[in-house]
Amino acid sequence: MITRRKILKSLGATALAVPALSMPLVARAQGAAGRVVVVGGGFGGATAAKYIKRRNPDIAVTLVEANSRFYTCPFSNLYLGGLRDFESIGHSYDELTGDYGVELVTGWAQDVDGDAHTLTLASGDVLEYDKLVLSPGIDIRWGAIEGYDEAAAELVPHAWKAGPQTRLLREQLEAMEDGGTFILSAPDNPFRCPPGPYERVSLIANYFKTNKPNSKIIILDAKDNFSKQGLFQAGWEALYGDMIEWVSLSNDGRVVRVDAEAREVETEFGVIHKADVLNVVPPQKAGAIADAAGVTNEGGWAPVDPVTFESRLVPDIHVIGDASVAAPMPKSGFSANAQGKVAAAAIVAAFAGEEPSEPSWANTCYSLIGPEYGISVANVYKVVDGEVVVADGGGVSPADADAEFRRREAVYAEGWYDAIANDTWGTVA
Amino acid sequence: MTETNTNHTFNGISRRAFLAMTGGALALASFPALALSDAWRRVDEINAVVGDADPIAQGVNIELPLVTENGANVPLKVGIGRPMAEGEHVTAIHIYAPRNPFPEIATFRFVDGFDVPEIETRIRLNESQTVFVVAELNSGAVLMGERDVRVTVSGCLTQADTYAADSLFETRVRVAESVANGTPLEVLTLINHPQETGLREDAQGNPVPKRLIERLEARYNGEVAFVAEFNRSISSNPYLRFFITPEESGALDLVWTEDTGASAQFNADITVG
Repeated sequence: MITRRKILKSLGATALAVPALSMPLVARAQGAAGRVVVVGGGFGGATAAKYIKRRNPDIAVTLVEANSRFYTCPFSNLYLGGLRDFESIGHSYDELTGDYGVELVTGWAQDVDGDAHTLTLASGDVLEYDKLVLSPGIDIRWGAIEGYDEAAAELVPHAWKAGPQTRLLREQLEAMEDGGTFILSAPDNPFRCPPGPYERVSLIANYFKTNKPNSKIIILDAKDNFSKQGLFQAGWEALYGDMIEWVSLSNDGRVVRVDAEAREVETEFGVIHKADVLNVVPPQKAGAIADAAGVTNEGGWAPVDPVTFESRLVPDIHVIGDASVAAPMPKSGFSANAQGKVAAAAIVAAFAGEEPSEPSWANTCYSLIGPEYGISVANVYKVVDGEVVVADGGGVSPADADAEFRRREAVYAEGWYDAIANDTWGTVA
Repeated sequence: MTETNTNHTFNGISRRAFLAMTGGALALASFPALALSDAWRRVDEINAVVGDADPIAQGVNIELPLVTENGANVPLKVGIGRPMAEGEHVTAIHIYAPRNPFPEIATFRFVDGFDVPEIETRIRLNESQTVFVVAELNSGAVLMGERDVRVTVSGCLTQADTYAADSLFETRVRVAESVANGTPLEVLTLINHPQETGLREDAQGNPVPKRLIERLEARYNGEVAFVAEFNRSISSNPYLRFFITPEESGALDLVWTEDTGASAQFNADITVG
């Protein structure tokens, strides 16, 4: 069903009439309190769409998303470790469309004209907006590691976007013989989900421990330290003995070349590592539509005003989630959700002619080292002099906690996932 | 890969200095006559190198992250991309971080005949600031570039000591065994070392004594071909990529020297074809 809001204009290339920038908002909005197009239905985009509607149902909100169901990177490591089925990390847009009146367009956002305030889809359809929210997540920097391109990823998955890549990695782990070697190549900062690679090897170690106990795991890292490092390393030793070996940057951990056919990697100083299952988590950048919209810097990410998450480069485009530069907030689903609410509030305020309110955010990254062994890091963030900074409060799990404490944090992690999936997509666990 | 911006400093040129350098031969300079920011003038260590020269804001290419989440280990690449006059070459590149406790990070000295004025290393940045790179030429001219870096600490990162005490002074080197005549030979090096600043306390609150790798010297057939002088703000496990251009087959010797006088060596035979 195509509604008026769904496809405002079909592109008849030359026939496309673009409203002048100077036209009054009310005329452009055709009776609505404003028109917002959101690209990307993940933690950031779905939250932004929902919270705009919650605050002002008269604003027309269109969500553009390529897939009919969204699979989360958070908890995809549980699937890889055989602790969850794949559909349990999938979410629909039924709540957004049914309860909140968000118009869903299933399609690929191809291009943005920031001057004309239009978004063009791969289908050729054009959507007009007053405010655009981009929440495209990450794209892979193909070729940043020699030999790692899209074809190589079909043999050696990155599995850093939940979906077919995640399933491919799981299939390879299942097919691996006992006594095999799993190698994960971890990137330098910034990248999506800073503790993610380390949780991944933890839960794969848990799978090996019960199913393939003679297997070995090597992390080749482009960093000298990583998120919750002390807690992870203590947990690895406690649960998995010496199964997991971490090779730091200074110990020649940075992978510079991948041979996907041979499942081999070469490090900076020339060491060749051979894997039975190889997982390259490559360097990343903002999702492609951010580049097309002209909101990314030379580093490949989108600088934003943290009070509104509006682009510092193109007006009326808000960029949230992994694609934005919000450091020291991590590129996490929790951060994207919190940023989506801040962008939603700022957009609603702007349509009402009001100033945005001063935001603050919280982020918690839970990680599971085993099914009953959870750890976390939590922080509060605020804005000082136009930049995000860490506020007082927060911290990491204690180093000397007992088994019951770790077990409870694993329960809290499940609770966190259920709560944020409910908040973002209305999924009921 | 860290978020990186390459700074091709063309628009910061001092026109007067540029014309002086070229003897007016390029009087129709397409470079706008913009001055370098004056911030460097407040840094004594930079003034000491610049002396009476009028720094030219041209040709100093600096790659540093726009934002870094780990100030203890910030990747830095520097290259001098300015066309040189006949007989002109870079003699030294100096790196400064004025808001670090000790602004001098490192000096790299190049020898005529071997020089490829390009290095990659990893540095410590105490806080957000402007990093300055000063290049000295044998003509007496001075080139300068600057880059702003925002240093933040990720809420998802915790720090840990990363150098391995049991393998102190262990070196890693990657260098090709053979190279075509006239082609720069890339030398990639790392030495396991804490690079203790003397400004840090251990877990018990006792000061950790200063202990630094101060120098890496590359000799080719016994002749000094390249020198790196490291200070406190080179990251632990000093990492350096540099180039030399050997004209005949011979022996490459690398010598790292600690401030205690202790040293480590690496030797390789290079075939020039």
